[in-house]
Amino acid sequence: MTGRIAFSWALVGLPLAYGVVETLRKAASLFTG
Amino acid sequence: MPALPAFLARERTVAGPGYSRWLIPPAALAVHLCIGQVYATSVYKNALVAHFDSSLTAVGWIFSIAIVMLGLSAAVMGTWVDRNGPRAAMFASACFWSTGFLVGALGIASGQLWLVYLGYGVIGGIGLGIGYISPVSTLIKWFPDRPGLATGMAIMGFGGGALVASPVSGRLMELYDSGYDAADSGSVASGNAVMLLFLTLGVVYLAFMMFGAFTVRVPADDWKPEGWDPSEVKQKSMVTTASVSAGNAIRTPQFYLLWVVLFCNVTAGIGILEQASPMIQDFFRDGSSSAVTAAAAGGFVGLLSIANMAGRFVWSSTSDVVGRKPIYMVYLGVGLVLYFLLATVGANSTALFVLLAAVILSFYGGGFATIPAYLRDLFGTYQVGAIHGRLLTAWAAAGIAGPLIVNAFLDAQGTPGELTADAYRPALLTMVGVLGVGFVANLLVRPVAERFHEPHAPAEPTTDAETQPSGAGRSER
Repeated sequence: MTGRIAFSWALVGLPLAYGVVETLRKAASLFTG
Repeated sequence: MPALPAFLARERTVAGPGYSRWLIPPAALAVHLCIGQVYATSVYKNALVAHFDSSLTAVGWIFSIAIVMLGLSAAVMGTWVDRNGPRAAMFASACFWSTGFLVGALGIASGQLWLVYLGYGVIGGIGLGIGYISPVSTLIKWFPDRPGLATGMAIMGFGGGALVASPVSGRLMELYDSGYDAADSGSVASGNAVMLLFLTLGVVYLAFMMFGAFTVRVPADDWKPEGWDPSEVKQKSMVTTASVSAGNAIRTPQFYLLWVVLFCNVTAGIGILEQASPMIQDFFRDGSSSAVTAAAAGGFVGLLSIANMAGRFVWSSTSDVVGRKPIYMVYLGVGLVLYFLLATVGANSTALFVLLAAVILSFYGGGFATIPAYLRDLFGTYQVGAIHGRLLTAWAAAGIAGPLIVNAFLDAQGTPGELTADAYRPALLTMVGVLGVGFVANLLVRPVAERFHEPHAPAEPTTDAETQPSGAGRSER
């Protein structure tokens, strides 16, 4: 069950993390001009 | 409504012993991350305008129809979702959402804009509404000890869906059109690239949402979290142990007070979201130029998206500790003060402006994510999904009212992107009043009168097929 939980969270967590990182990179331009 | 295939039946989704409730949030996220794409339509908007040789307004209708259908289908289908369970709802949502993309792709390929309205707007919009409410009552039943945390996790996914879809769509269109550069705001992808993007998203979202549909389970009737004592719930006056049906809920003043609360909170948030990019440039304008560049303004929009998403999880989880009514006093009361500060001293410093706007947007997200738990507290878990669906009409109404209020004030002042901070003050101060109305509505919320309670406090929505004794349903291990 632990493996299934880890897989399920990774499946949704990795794309979400990618989206957050991409957005933060874009948001960085607010502070760098 | 035709009978469901056996593999979708609610009784086939009752969790067996050993099933972990921590599988439910990723199942819910799988659906919400996909349908959250609806807020990433700006990525291909210009490409569709060029492809159809149309206007931004005409293409903008695709998004507007989808949001209106979201509100309508959530309201109309809420009872069906509660009765048939999360797997059937997620399955239906996946089929509608995916079909919406495929029909939309056909519309792009054939040059028929009306097919995109029908596909993405109407069919996809139905998928949005069913998908949005599909995991809510199930999460609340699995997390009776932390309903705010549970719904916050799922509804955070809706905010996060656009964060994922936006860069992925840009990359895919670069792949399908070698002349397109997603980093160049002047570059426009071909219609063929958008058509292939729609086909790709339709297939990928179908697979992803099916993962959610076949992972989700409902708890057995006698299940409760280890170490959790339901009697603790009774000690809180604003948390009921009774059950109120969706039909009765819309006869209570509490439903309409919460409708006003959600409407005001969303209207105020949209007030900033709608004009975020030109607003920050106008607030720091010196003559014809602004201290904030277009790229930095784009970064500001990204930061607001993160604040909106984070607020859904953080504030909704916090509501489990401080209570639902107090957290809405914060969203609306503190939000009101922050909005006033934004209008009066926001132009003094960019950092202050960004901070104020980010906190206001976190309250906007928090308001969305906490409302299902607030409904659970007042009406019980019995038909909370259906009640939530009906309440989401406030979202659709605010989606019209928020931009109307802001645009009406700004149109009288000039063109956004060429204004100063003073021009925004009437619109922002109006939002202060809107939040004040919501604050008063929240203050008036009291427990639901006993005459609206169900006589036998059913634990689950009943269907014709569910007349057998409680717990008689098959478990799927």
